[in-house]
Amino acid sequence: MSENLERRRFLKCLGASSLIIAPLGCSSVKEEESSNKPHYVMVFDQNKCIGCGDCKDACNKTNNLPEGKSRLLLEQQSGGVAGEICPHCGKTECDCERKYVRVSCQQCKNAPCVTVCPTGAAHRDEKTGIVTMDASKCAGCKYCIGACPYDARFINKETDVADNCDFCLNTKLSKGELPACVESCRHDALIFGDANDPTSYVSKLLRVKDSVRMKPGFGTEPSLRYIPIVKVGV
Amino acid sequence: MDGSIEFTMGLSQGIAWPWPIAVYLFFAGISGGALSIALFIRFFKKQTTNTPFLKAACLTSLVTISLGMICLVFDLTNPLFFWRILVFYNLNSVMSVGVLALNAYIPLVALITLFAMEDEIKRIPALSFLLPIIEKLRCLRSPAEKAVLVLAMSVCAYTGFLISALIRFPIINTSVLPALFVASGLSAGAAVAKMVAVGVFKEELHSPDMKVLHGAEWPIMAAEILFIFMLAMSLFSGNAGMQSAFAAFHTGNWAGVFWIGVVGIGFVAPLLLNFATSKAFSHSAKALYMSGMCAVVGMMCLRLFILYAGQNFAV
Ligand code: SF4
Ligand code: SF4
Repeated sequence: MSENLERRRFLKCLGASSLIIAPLGCSSVKEEESSNKPHYVMVFDQNKCIGCGDCKDACNKTNNLPEGKSRLLLEQQSGGVAGEICPHCGKTECDCERKYVRVSCQQCKNAPCVTVCPTGAAHRDEKTGIVTMDASKCAGCKYCIGACPYDARFINKETDVADNCDFCLNTKLSKGELPACVESCRHDALIFGDANDPTSYVSKLLRVKDSVRMKPGFGTEPSLRYIPIVKVGV
Repeated sequence: MDGSIEFTMGLSQGIAWPWPIAVYLFFAGISGGALSIALFIRFFKKQTTNTPFLKAACLTSLVTISLGMICLVFDLTNPLFFWRILVFYNLNSVMSVGVLALNAYIPLVALITLFAMEDEIKRIPALSFLLPIIEKLRCLRSPAEKAVLVLAMSVCAYTGFLISALIRFPIINTSVLPALFVASGLSAGAAVAKMVAVGVFKEELHSPDMKVLHGAEWPIMAAEILFIFMLAMSLFSGNAGMQSAFAAFHTGNWAGVFWIGVVGIGFVAPLLLNFATSKAFSHSAKALYMSGMCAVVGMMCLRLFILYAGQNFAV
């Protein structure tokens, strides 16, 4: 009996002190990158994108998003689409080259959305390192939306919780398939793979092609790379 | 090559944090500010009685923090998910740390309000069930008050840290913001508590407590002005994104809110009321209420300006 009590008290103290000490440890641990873990990256080749929107539709369907929503947007930067004003020159009819940019979660290595989320709903998947959502924890406070420097998060009107592009982690990757947008792109404008694997196609591509990251000044180290159209004299 | 490609669209469609958050920041500031000042005076002057100002500050603080929590909950996309913030914690998140502080702060404020209002509670028969509780917990009064003083200051500061973590907005992402929010919380909190003390608890206009408050008011306001100036200057002389955000001070509707609400009503009006009017008027109850209201309106405008102009001028 008394032994039992002793043990109980010991366990209680252990529990209480770990409550106090654990956060101290957690807050000082930096996200570390071990080399045998994958680092999934996506490359968007602007030279190949024609703005057809297949990727958006595929995303919407795969991830069961509400009508017309998807986790990515295409921003038209220049070039004539019949009946629309060219954002570059301002005319309805022009010879500007068509340019699109994919707008979506940049899968930051140093992700502000994960840091600020009070409940840990916006978190990094342990196995893949992909920033994803645990919808059952999200309180809908929208802190992550304000904190994301790329404005790449939104509230899913159907579930009332925050959402972001997670490379189709749960809908496709887990089955060994490519993200829906990559799969659906008929023009090979999207390339996806593990940059830590030197034999993967992305690693080879990134070695030979110049690619850039969006707004590197924020220091979030995005995993999305862009191959821009670079042409003198447009 | 960096910078050769950009995008300007976003998926969130608009302002992530709308006005209820500004109102919450406002209420939390008043709550923390009023109590900090009252407890500071209490400890400083070693008071042991329940002064009208202490009662007023406790009541103000309890009411405002409760209203603030209502704003907070109703700003969630689904208020029914509120429990998740209370169950899951991420100690890297300022919000989570703030929730921990509020979990301690709110019950403790309720407790010290009970102590401060003991005489009033005695007079209302319907509340007599509270008297044995007060009696039982009386030994906790002094430690509770000390803890609340620390927590009240933290709550004021935390509202600033909470939003200054948003790196996309140069006006918000500044290190003076917490200091600014503490200073403006103190001044508006003191103003509200003062009005309640005079209006509800029949504090004399020129009691020693009120004299201390009058003396503290101007330095706090000077600090506020200084912090706003620092914020504006850091934007003015900062990088390109900060410089473009500086435009918030001179273009658009929010510039109007800043100059009329924050500067005009918040700073200039109380100064005029106190120094440009006859002594008879500036020492009257009317002047006290008017300058009190000015402080409150100015503070609300400041929160709205920071939140809206801040989010509108993203980089
Ligand atoms: S882009 Fe935004 S949502 Fe995506 S990981 Fe970075 S901060 Fe998070
Ligand atoms: S909205 Fe959800 S995911 Fe985003 S910070 Fe709040 S709790 Fe986290």
